[in-house]
Amino acid sequence: MKLTLDTFHKFQKEQAARLEGRKAITVCCGTSCRAKGGLDVASAIQTKLKDAGLDENAVELTQTGCHGWCEMGPIVTVEPEGTFYQQVKVEDADAIVASYTKGNAEEKLLYRDPTTRQRVASYHAIPFYAGQTRWALRNVGRVDPANINDSIARGSYVALNRALTSMTPEGVLNEVAEAKLRGRGGGGFDAGRKWRSAAKAPGFPKYIICNGDEGDPGAFMDRTIMEGDPHGVLEGMILAAFAVGSNQGYIYVRQEYPLAVEHLRQAIKDAHAMGLLGDNILGTEFSFDVRIARGGGAFVCGESSALMRSIEGKVGEPRAKYVHATDKGLNDKPTVLNNVETYVNVPLIVEKGSQWFANTGTDKSKGTKAFSVVGKVLHSGLIEVPMGTTLRELIFDIAGGIPGKNRQFKAVQTGGPSGGCLPEKMLDLPVDFDSLADNGSMMGSGGLIVMDDRNCIVDVARYFVHFLVEESCGKCVPCREGLRHLLDVLERITQGKGKMSDLDTIERLCDVLENGSLCALGKSAANPVRSTLRYFRKEYEEHINEHFCKAGVCPALCTYKINDQCTGCTLCAKVCPTHCISGSRKEKHVIDQAKCIQCGSCFDVCNFNAIDILGSNG
Amino acid sequence: MATNINLDDILTRYPEEEASLIEILHDIQAAHRHLPRETMKTVAEYTGVPLSRVTAVATFYSAFSFEPKGETVIKICMGTACHVKGANLIKGEAERKLGIKAGQTTKDGKFTLEVVNCVGACAMAPLVIQNEQYYGKFKPVDLDKLLRTGE
Amino acid sequence: MIELTIDGKRVQARKGEHLLAIARREGVEIPTLCHHEAVEPSGACRMCMVEVTRPDWEGWSKLVTACNFPAEEDLIVRTRTDKVMQTRKEILELLIARTPGSQLIAEMAREYGLDHPTLTVGELSEKCILCDICTRVCQNLVTGAISRINRGVEKEVNTPFAEVSDVCIGCLACAKSCPTDAIEFKQVGLERTIWGRTFDLVPCTQCGAPTLPKEQAEWLSERTGMKVEEYFVCVKCKAAQTARTYENIAW
Repeated sequence: MKLTLDTFHKFQKEQAARLEGRKAITVCCGTSCRAKGGLDVASAIQTKLKDAGLDENAVELTQTGCHGWCEMGPIVTVEPEGTFYQQVKVEDADAIVASYTKGNAEEKLLYRDPTTRQRVASYHAIPFYAGQTRWALRNVGRVDPANINDSIARGSYVALNRALTSMTPEGVLNEVAEAKLRGRGGGGFDAGRKWRSAAKAPGFPKYIICNGDEGDPGAFMDRTIMEGDPHGVLEGMILAAFAVGSNQGYIYVRQEYPLAVEHLRQAIKDAHAMGLLGDNILGTEFSFDVRIARGGGAFVCGESSALMRSIEGKVGEPRAKYVHATDKGLNDKPTVLNNVETYVNVPLIVEKGSQWFANTGTDKSKGTKAFSVVGKVLHSGLIEVPMGTTLRELIFDIAGGIPGKNRQFKAVQTGGPSGGCLPEKMLDLPVDFDSLADNGSMMGSGGLIVMDDRNCIVDVARYFVHFLVEESCGKCVPCREGLRHLLDVLERITQGKGKMSDLDTIERLCDVLENGSLCALGKSAANPVRSTLRYFRKEYEEHINEHFCKAGVCPALCTYKINDQCTGCTLCAKVCPTHCISGSRKEKHVIDQAKCIQCGSCFDVCNFNAIDILGSNG
Repeated sequence: MATNINLDDILTRYPEEEASLIEILHDIQAAHRHLPRETMKTVAEYTGVPLSRVTAVATFYSAFSFEPKGETVIKICMGTACHVKGANLIKGEAERKLGIKAGQTTKDGKFTLEVVNCVGACAMAPLVIQNEQYYGKFKPVDLDKLLRTGE
Repeated sequence: MIELTIDGKRVQARKGEHLLAIARREGVEIPTLCHHEAVEPSGACRMCMVEVTRPDWEGWSKLVTACNFPAEEDLIVRTRTDKVMQTRKEILELLIARTPGSQLIAEMAREYGLDHPTLTVGELSEKCILCDICTRVCQNLVTGAISRINRGVEKEVNTPFAEVSDVCIGCLACAKSCPTDAIEFKQVGLERTIWGRTFDLVPCTQCGAPTLPKEQAEWLSERTGMKVEEYFVCVKCKAAQTARTYENIAW
């Protein structure tokens, strides 16, 4: 059935009415929960509901996208109460349905607050969720991404209907411009300005591209949105197309995200069938279609000019941006390119107005931002907060801080391979487009990787440079050759072969990368190294002068030894992958240094502080 | 393994143009678990792209490979979250246990070991993927069990 | 026409014209490695970096590649600032480390005062700086026999699967356009070998000296409409022929 401007309103109301006071059980079927058996949990609950004689009218079972708190998966919620079940297994289906019919909650599956030891009945009362402002993630974890009616019931395409009914393209452009929406992919470029340039540029066709090539390691905001709310992305793109005057769009998705590709394909098909995409959208003169282009596993294709070459079927090498994509982009035609999270914000702005949007955030960074807070943090997952929230609030108040009673916060890495590592003293910085950049890092697309004192900062710098060596396209000299030498120097230092003069060589190579590289990948490649050298120089010097990696990471620069605190509990011997720890029960154990690979598994499990990390010669 | 998929069936899914090249390569790779060299000329003719540019594209993107992969593909995620939680050690142990380097296939064709730069399942770090099945919070010692199930 | 300043001199140019072309016209020297007049600029070698600013940029400036930066009114271009010279010098050091055997790079490095390179050097036999002139020439002007294989540090120029190419016409355009003589070819008697393929050179119909491969003549003939046989006259004989023609006309 194709909807029109006249019929959409009534249809939407009908769908929304279905939600009123609806009883629903949602099962998270995002990538993480799926891996932990989410789909099996869903079908087990389905069977039990059927057995209990409950049909869809009594309670709706929804398979949703990611709830963001992947740590706790598989996650099941009961609405409208907001009952939050964690780490649900297939065997729990019986109890969930039984307590549902009784109208109460299954105690043992509820989240237990680590400090009060109390079970928490609803996710609204859990700090991980209560501290968030979910705008971009508004529908993620709530709708069934494979059911367009579900999305429409929650308000998808309401903004589109409004724009096509009562707004001009110029009007949509103005709203986005006045909302001061900035690109969420990392660059932070003013979206309204970009759209206006493309709208004004001569040339046809014009293209709308959605960058779903979320390449920053440690970031999965866009994956979650594409998987969990594909219609939000589509609607944002359609509105952009209307504003700019485009008829063709592309979503460039990483091939590492098969579920996102599947859900987007389904969404495009469904939107077509409903008259929300394709020719004569909602019965108007406006036509716009979207195609999916899969990435090929190349980080550099997140760079806009490389991405466009890739859609053209070419090698993903960037080219100079002296002429903007809004004039000459895909196929040398005017092109607007924004990322997933940017587009998903657009329907909100059109629906609620630029003023409403701009009321949240900081002076220069409006709205909210989704972050993937991962690494050495108690509650890994997706967290969306207003721009300007501090790193400390994100990492400690919402994500629960550093796990392990003896572990200390060391650094937080933001902005992926283009960003940097910030130390403890920077934790009160507000996270927005500008403040992190002023301190040697950047907000980037939203990956926050937390590190504790068991992470070696030189190793982290080496890791990023290694990543970039593998991902550099190899076109320009500074990036291709400079990174190779930078890696060479950092490897020498982590192997205990470093010299103090190497630190000057590092600075020099960072300069040529920054000044000489063709694209942002190379220009910003120095950041992870520069920031670690700026804030953790002492650790570099320890590696070079004392041949000591106190974090116990660089194998050549540390040894693990068992001290007299050992109670002979045998735990360390059990986790040792090379079986190099010996000793009888209740007696002090010994590590065979010849077989030890310095993995630190023993250190991490020891409850008695019985393992020391010493320098390379003990 | 769906090796009986006809090349023509894949080609005709897409228009005869350069922009179809990467999508076509994806489908061939999925059907054969590698890009058979003999198919590349046909792809070049269909898309109107010189063979040299087809091979340039096929070798630029890490999703494609000209070498057949093993029956079991083990991917170790090397994203930042996985790295800070010890992915390197898992990689080292896997290389030691299989006697191959990442990117290689065992002589008996059973295992291919690969590394991947983040699959966006960072909350499960460190992560190992065996034939598309995700294993989170992976420890080096878990490899023994994983390699047994792969046999 | 617009006006801009290069190294303090007011010059005229077309809007959008590339800075390198303007500079060369005005006799301002800017070094290049990956630039070739026959193909579109690539911006890969980064040697032609210059510093640009504008009166309204309030002192802010940026480094850009002259080969593909489009000229605009009132642009101020400086081709030899400290930052420019330092960046070029660092790039040359990176290239020396890659191709320690290349004479051209060594000479340029000396010009930029790079006396004691400190980076670990690679193999002496390596001469290719991956400037992509050969592949751009072959892809855009000839038959597309060679391309850049792999990514990043693994990148290299080769034929598909490093096998003998059946579309190569043995024209040597790749080898002749290479700034560092990195593409090897052999010519002995009536045989020419390049990229692993040996071509028979057709002897000159007048004097028997080697002319060019039949494959190249056929490729040219298809595009020019000239007969294939007309290509089988060597340069010397062709010159003699032309001289005779003029002689006849002059008479």
